[in-house]
Amino acid sequence: MPVTLEHRAFLYDGIERFLTVAVPYLREGVEAEEAVVVVLREPGLSALRDVLAPFAGQIDFYPSDAFYLHPVRTLKSYQELLAAKAPRAIRALAEPVWQGRTPRETLEWARYESLVNVVFKDADARAMCPYDLAALPPAVIDHARRTHPLLAWDAGTAGSRDYVDPADFGAECDRARRFGDRRGAAYFAVASDDLHALRAFVGGRASAHGLDDPAARNLVTAVNEVAANALRHGSPPVGAWIWSDGPELLCEIGDNGLWRPGPHTGFIPPESALERGFGLWTVRLLVDLMELRTGWDGTFVRLHVRR
Amino acid sequence: MRWASKPVEPAYAEPDPADPDGQAMETTWFAKRPVSDVRPGDHAWLAYSGAEERDRVIGAFIREGLDNNEKVVYVTDTPAEGLPGMRARTSPDLDAFVESRQLRVIPREQACLDAGGRFVPEKMLETLAHEAGQTFGQGFRAVRLTTDHTWVMNAPGRADLAEMLGCEHRFGDTVSPSTMAMAICQVARRACRDDELAALRDTHEVLVEINPEYDDGILKIVRTFDPHGLRVEGELDDVRHAAFADRLGALVRSHHRIHLDLSRLGFIDLGGLRLLARHAAARGGDRTLVLDDLAPAVENIIEAVGWHRLPGIVPGRRRGRPEHAGGRARGTRGEGRCR
Repeated sequence: MPVTLEHRAFLYDGIERFLTVAVPYLREGVEAEEAVVVVLREPGLSALRDVLAPFAGQIDFYPSDAFYLHPVRTLKSYQELLAAKAPRAIRALAEPVWQGRTPRETLEWARYESLVNVVFKDADARAMCPYDLAALPPAVIDHARRTHPLLAWDAGTAGSRDYVDPADFGAECDRARRFGDRRGAAYFAVASDDLHALRAFVGGRASAHGLDDPAARNLVTAVNEVAANALRHGSPPVGAWIWSDGPELLCEIGDNGLWRPGPHTGFIPPESALERGFGLWTVRLLVDLMELRTGWDGTFVRLHVRR
Repeated sequence: MRWASKPVEPAYAEPDPADPDGQAMETTWFAKRPVSDVRPGDHAWLAYSGAEERDRVIGAFIREGLDNNEKVVYVTDTPAEGLPGMRARTSPDLDAFVESRQLRVIPREQACLDAGGRFVPEKMLETLAHEAGQTFGQGFRAVRLTTDHTWVMNAPGRADLAEMLGCEHRFGDTVSPSTMAMAICQVARRACRDDELAALRDTHEVLVEINPEYDDGILKIVRTFDPHGLRVEGELDDVRHAAFADRLGALVRSHHRIHLDLSRLGFIDLGGLRLLARHAAARGGDRTLVLDDLAPAVENIIEAVGWHRLPGIVPGRRRGRPEHAGGRARGTRGEGRCR
């Protein structure tokens, strides 16, 4: 039997029903000597720890709040976890955080769930993602049906009729974006191939916005990469806008060319720096959010960083 | 000594963080200059790790003096045609320099030894003062003085350290206020214990090093000899990749490890990381590219993407911490000394 990912959303209503499915699922993994990982929100995490106390030491528990901070980094963390546990099969109970997210963040986390099917498609892994029907908005449940090939209830598991190919789902996420105005933006014309002055400009604005040193350096590295790409592959004029929106600092790099990268470009962690997509993936890793907009007026990459 | 002199002003100072020339237990302040920037008043120190490093520094020191109507005084038993930087000179050219006394190659016996072959500091100081004193009268605009102390530290009748230090102090007191004399004191690192090396170094205000391979004000690339590699300073970005790739590619590839000292690299772009990875991949086998003393900016970006995404590249020496396993441990420099 070929090894493939089994990725299912578990739609539950109430902690009792949650436990009747989650406990046997995890126990089965321990008995099969798989690497069993639980990433969960409260109160589910504490409830499971209590019930599964006899298996203490055979299951790794993590709170979701610490694990689901940034979709691109979370994919990377899971990839590292898989590598650390190899060659054992992985069995995960993984609950993302949906509470307190802005609509844009919700969309990026839905995309994340969809990308799990691509990044781990050949992994010897099972992932069950619990969705609390009583607590989550209908839009999130709708995403769950569309991003998980399998759906589970306390009654059993079935294929999801609403499942969407991740490439289509990603394209849909991109279309759903709304780009706000660059209100009060300062503009920097990138007139030379030498990006030294652009870095100094962005670094100065980042410090003035109150970003700490590592965050400011990360933004400078990301802007430099996007601008170098625009100079190399885009069309002049190339320029950068930078502005603040509350705690967020935004920097947008634009050129007059037309760039339509593949739907997963920069989302899939590359094996090495020599692989295509390393630059864009690293840009996504370094900032809170990277958005790409291509239109009649050119290609625009917008980077968001929160102080 | 009657040398032209200038008011004493402190050399611009910088700490010596990399501690390449000895084991300083506390931060010492030095001016560090490439050899082409050595200027009158500099009493400079060169602790070299091998003939290539010495020849490239001293060769440039001599050549630039001769090309600029400056007198060059070299205390050595090596004949003029054997001096660093002289090999490319045609002999009529060389003969003319010797004839005009612009190039003075003075054997040790004549410069600084007594009848019994012992090193006499006073005699050395007198010899140098005498040569320097004649500079203007001979029609030269400045004088460059150099000698290699390695033999003194190694000779059977080895000078004692206190005597050497006293000599260096007095020499420094004479050169530093001068507006026309500059000097480089050389020693092979392996000839001295680390503490001796540090003590001798501390009698100089200027550390001299090889001229940079590349310097455009944003990126500076300097060859290093011990360990074999490059020091990369400033910012490495797209328009500077080619310059860096050239210098990296020109290093002797047979070395098991190439070390890049990145302690003063403030920025590396993602293309720079790709370039390093490409170079490491081309080296192949178990030959690695070692990144030493990573500045936080560079270390953070590498740790963000993960070291495993840069195959063939390993972290090396870290300031104040032990070197990566398999590397050369610090503080063992004295082992190879010949006494």
